Amino acid sequence: MTSEATGQAEATEHLPTAVPILSPRGSDRLEESDGMELSPKLQADLLNLDAWGEILTTYGRTMGVGVALTDSAGQVLGDCHNAQPVWSLVHDARRDWGGGCPFCITTGPPCTAVADALQTGGSVMVHDQAALTHVAVPLLLGRRPLGAIIAGQVFDRYPEPLLLRRVAREFGVPAQQLWNVARKQHPVSSATLHASGELLCALGHAFLQQRYGAILETKLAETNGRFRLLVDGVTDHALFTMDPSGRVTSWNRGAERLLGYVEAEIIGRNFSCIFTPEEIQDRQPEKQLHKAWQSGRAEDEGWRVTKSQKQFWANVNITALLEGPGPARGFAIIMQDVSERRKIAIVLEAARQDRTRLQENFLSHVSHELRTPLTAIYFFTTNVLDGLLGDLNPEQHEHLTFSLDNVKQLKDMVSDLLDITRVDTHKLVVEPQHASSGKLVAEILSTCRTNAAAKNISLGSDLAPDLPYVWADPARVRQILINLIDNGIKFTPENGTITVTSRLSAEDHGFLCLSVSDTGCGISPENREIIFDRLSQVKSSAEASRSGLGLGLFIAKELVSRHGGRIWVESELGHGSRFSFTLPVFSLAKLCAYVFTAPNLGAGSVTLIAVDVAAVEGAVQADILLEVRRVLERCIHAGQDLLLPSMSDAEPVETFFIVACTDARGSAVIASRIDRALQDFDRASRLKPVISSTTLPVVPGQSREEQIGELTARIEQLVQAHLLGKETLK
Amino acid sequence: MSGKKILIIDDDQPLLLGLSARLKANGYGVVSAMDGISAIAVARKEAPDLIILDLGLPAGDGFLVLERMKGLADLGSIPVIVLSARDPAGNEKRVLDAGAVAFFQKPPDNHEFLAAIRQALGETIALSTFLKT
Repeated sequence: MTSEATGQAEATEHLPTAVPILSPRGSDRLEESDGMELSPKLQADLLNLDAWGEILTTYGRTMGVGVALTDSAGQVLGDCHNAQPVWSLVHDARRDWGGGCPFCITTGPPCTAVADALQTGGSVMVHDQAALTHVAVPLLLGRRPLGAIIAGQVFDRYPEPLLLRRVAREFGVPAQQLWNVARKQHPVSSATLHASGELLCALGHAFLQQRYGAILETKLAETNGRFRLLVDGVTDHALFTMDPSGRVTSWNRGAERLLGYVEAEIIGRNFSCIFTPEEIQDRQPEKQLHKAWQSGRAEDEGWRVTKSQKQFWANVNITALLEGPGPARGFAIIMQDVSERRKIAIVLEAARQDRTRLQENFLSHVSHELRTPLTAIYFFTTNVLDGLLGDLNPEQHEHLTFSLDNVKQLKDMVSDLLDITRVDTHKLVVEPQHASSGKLVAEILSTCRTNAAAKNISLGSDLAPDLPYVWADPARVRQILINLIDNGIKFTPENGTITVTSRLSAEDHGFLCLSVSDTGCGISPENREIIFDRLSQVKSSAEASRSGLGLGLFIAKELVSRHGGRIWVESELGHGSRFSFTLPVFSLAKLCAYVFTAPNLGAGSVTLIAVDVAAVEGAVQADILLEVRRVLERCIHAGQDLLLPSMSDAEPVETFFIVACTDARGSAVIASRIDRALQDFDRASRLKPVISSTTLPVVPGQSREEQIGELTARIEQLVQAHLLGKETLK
Repeated sequence: MSGKKILIIDDDQPLLLGLSARLKANGYGVVSAMDGISAIAVARKEAPDLIILDLGLPAGDGFLVLERMKGLADLGSIPVIVLSARDPAGNEKRVLDAGAVAFFQKPPDNHEFLAAIRQALGETIALSTFLKT
């Protein structure tokens, strides 16, 4: 036998040689299927004989060759189509020739044409012992061997009598009969077989591809059907889909059960029919779809309405059905009735509030009950100490001073007790405003000076010049600072020093740092860790005089963190401690950023409205001003306009500033609203309100940050100029 | 010694004793009542120059006593300082609205308390720095 390509067959006469005649095909759909699992069932489906039968028969008849489908091991599946007479004769005589290619007439090692074809990915042509030629064409799914097509059993030239005689002898076939059969066969040239192998390769590939596509589609349809069954089987969740405009496109049985509409009446209707009238008014359906479209999905809990107008509390998930960028193809909704869960949550919350209220009432009662006897002790102690009942000797004076100290501690503890309840019930309220830290520190120092002087401690301050205003609750800052200073006094020996410093924080940008340093006993490293914890009591001998409930620093920490700042301590045992905390610097830009949104600034102008409130007679009471602030708050659009905090140190503050994202005409509307509201509020006409405004253009084309920066700088100037102008008028 | 008369309305006997001593030492005459009902009668009989009023009283809450007094022609003009163990939050504004001149939480600071008394009696001016705002 000879190999067509190499012609080296003489030495290995009985070994069928194979050469690839087609290179592997390029990437296509089958290549892409590499990731798919090639299950035995899929494999069988792909090699279905009924499907292949027609194409193989047609090919065999047209080419005048035999053709068969094999599995990946080379075993013929089913029959050989258009079997050739020489091969049939030999095949019938010797059915026992071995594995490999069954098209080969050989007594030597089995033909490896199929294996070679699958290995190389191309057609392989083989001459066998009888000089019959056949080709093996691989069937590959991606790179995975699926099977092969074998075609051939033809002579590529006139049959050689010598070879046939040898075959007849080796296979036990009558030589004459073999010759007669072989002689009738028309030789098929190698070139034709070669071309035919190529054609078969393309045909097989195309057919496999088509067959694979058909199988996938059947599978998909089955899966869809199963999915549909699954969706319909879910009855405790409403599952439905909508087109991009919100019209319902599918509706499962759960949806029918939950919302009352049957599929026929809801398909094509807008899903807004399951919203409450208020939510439809508020354009909630559109808003939710928009949100889902923007972020892929939206989750919501709220009231929904059934067909019979019954409301239930629903948990809703909307998923946008997206295919690449661009508009959504539609939306899928999963909805569940969670009314029961909500009821339970409401009951639990009520119970929690009840318990909290009880706890608060109890502590408030305890604190009240403790204060009464404490007051009597305070009066008696101070009466005696102040010599109201006669002179005291130094020892008596000293003892009573200790006694008074303890009364004061008890008093602080009782106050702390109430604050701690407020921490627990989230009622520890911090109401930040525009405040001067310098002024606050000065006030506090004057309050604490008496206490410090009693121990001959010098209490001073070191404030950096031109510090910005802070955004803090003055009463709470006072509480924090007094706590820190009192602690300092407690732990600093006589003739020591306590210094309050204030500077811009180097570490925390946008924060002011206030520190209280003492020359006291200091705090050990391990205690520095726990000192701000609740109920921490430092127990070392050096710090034994520490007293109180250990709540002061905990409350200070809570208060500082509610301002957005942090508190910490640096200390060296025996040399003193420095407690520091930060407070946010007041930033008009940060405050205004809330209303200076892109759409608001898009209007093109911002107006600063100043409302001067003066009394017809004398000064306006502080509580009246507070009421006026409330009236003004009601006159503006939250989210669009902003009532600034008091911007002046002068007390009482008599000018209110409103930043309105509107033009001069819009601000005139606000002004007239304010005028009417103030008249309503002040029926006795004790106030003289004067409203003025300045409109600032928003520079288009700038970034929002630049716009905010420029606007707030201008507003700051205007505010200062307005306050200064009023000052001059006076 | 101004010789002015102060009425303390409080149900706590020790407190009455201690506070009286302090007030007397500052030159005031002191009378007292221990419940809401007798408070009005004592105020009528003694015609004090100033009243120190507790809020938690037997037989008539301090608020009621305050409101009733402010509604009476003969007692309405007597300045009232409220001295209570209750939380200033809420209570302070309420008593000031009802006509009291100041609110102190127990125990008060002697200096601040006496300054408020003097101011309420018109004995001093410009002591606003001592007044709780």
